[in-house]
Amino acid sequence: MVIDVHVHPAFYEPVCGDPKRVSLRKGVMGYDLMSPFPLELVEKQMAFAGVDKLVLLGEDCAAEGGDVLSNEEISRIVALDPTRFIGFATVDPNRPDALEILRYAFGTLKLRGLKLHPAKQQFYPNDPKFFPIYELCLSYNVPITFHCGMSWQPNTLLKYSHPEVFEEIAVRYPQLRINLAHFGFPWVLETAAIILKYPNVYADTACCYMDCPEQFFEQLFFKLMGPLWVEHNIADKILFGSNNPRFRPARIKRGLEYQPFSEETLAKILGENAVRFLGLEVNGNG
Amino acid sequence: MVEFTKVKKCSTKEFELIKITDDVRQFAAQSKIKNGVVYVILSHTTAGIMVNESLPCLEKDIETTLEELVPLHKDYAHSHFLPSYGAIGGNAPGHLKSMLVGNHCVIPLIDGKLVMGMAQDVYLAEFDGVQQRTFFIEIIGE
Repeated sequence: MVIDVHVHPAFYEPVCGDPKRVSLRKGVMGYDLMSPFPLELVEKQMAFAGVDKLVLLGEDCAAEGGDVLSNEEISRIVALDPTRFIGFATVDPNRPDALEILRYAFGTLKLRGLKLHPAKQQFYPNDPKFFPIYELCLSYNVPITFHCGMSWQPNTLLKYSHPEVFEEIAVRYPQLRINLAHFGFPWVLETAAIILKYPNVYADTACCYMDCPEQFFEQLFFKLMGPLWVEHNIADKILFGSNNPRFRPARIKRGLEYQPFSEETLAKILGENAVRFLGLEVNGNG
Repeated sequence: MVEFTKVKKCSTKEFELIKITDDVRQFAAQSKIKNGVVYVILSHTTAGIMVNESLPCLEKDIETTLEELVPLHKDYAHSHFLPSYGAIGGNAPGHLKSMLVGNHCVIPLIDGKLVMGMAQDVYLAEFDGVQQRTFFIEIIGE
């Protein structure tokens, strides 16, 4: 099974009925020239790329327009095809009612994970005042994807998303499954250290490549890292993520397939690790 | 007189030759214009409109030749982050193939019928799929 764990469905037509809302979303998320497309296109892109499931991430930033891609919208897309889509909740943790929002998202909307964007939402993830959010995720047995490293969205600060700020959470909550998105770019070696050390931490491949995915992943996994680092150390900790619509799943997947990983390692990166991260082996594949 | 329509097609592969002759013929058949020219024009820069013979062997040769001329892996200047899109320019080969094929074709219209050679078909040539594509059919005449 191939699972793309990092997709922002900002332009899926079922959540693009209001042009003003789409325009606000584009501005907040930094997708200037993109435009809505039908779900039929998503299905065809998945078929072409050979991707079975997508993890859909929302976005809530209280200081910038609120939940521009809301939990209800994510839930609505998932309901259209629950075999393909897995919805993650979003909440700005600075909201006083963040826990209430998440209880509704996990309990009623049945969203199956949480996406937090410290750089955008401007909070330090290791601040104890946010620990109740992580404890709530544990109580629902849902994982968290943290934006980690650089973000192309406007009004995002690197200081909130350095891999180091997630270490304390990994230590304090060893049962909490965490994904450091974007492999923490540009701090890829720091990210590698954290996923190597902590069994509950993963990193996804939704990296900001600056050439082409084939060249970028070669640089990342075989030049910046030793040629056997992934194969012998962190093969169980890397998740295929595309960061669509910024990057296309087919191209990110092709970039990974181009690398001299063993078959076993490639299968883990493309889906087997995600099954574990998402808890699908416990909850079933739906 | 001028008549105009927009047609949308969803490609299913990165490279795909989608035959659109019937779309053009159908619009021409229902047009009030009986004599003139039919333009088929694409509204994209990483796909093309072309006229060729609809044989699987030729379609394969077209794909192979374009791939040789414009390889997937090359140090394209376009392959960098584009702030105006908020995305990476990962489709330089599509742009270059589009340039080679062109973005439109013109077909004569006589007595309400397209005048085409028996080997000719009109294609929407996808070079950057999977995407939803739009092309225009415009008939100019009387």
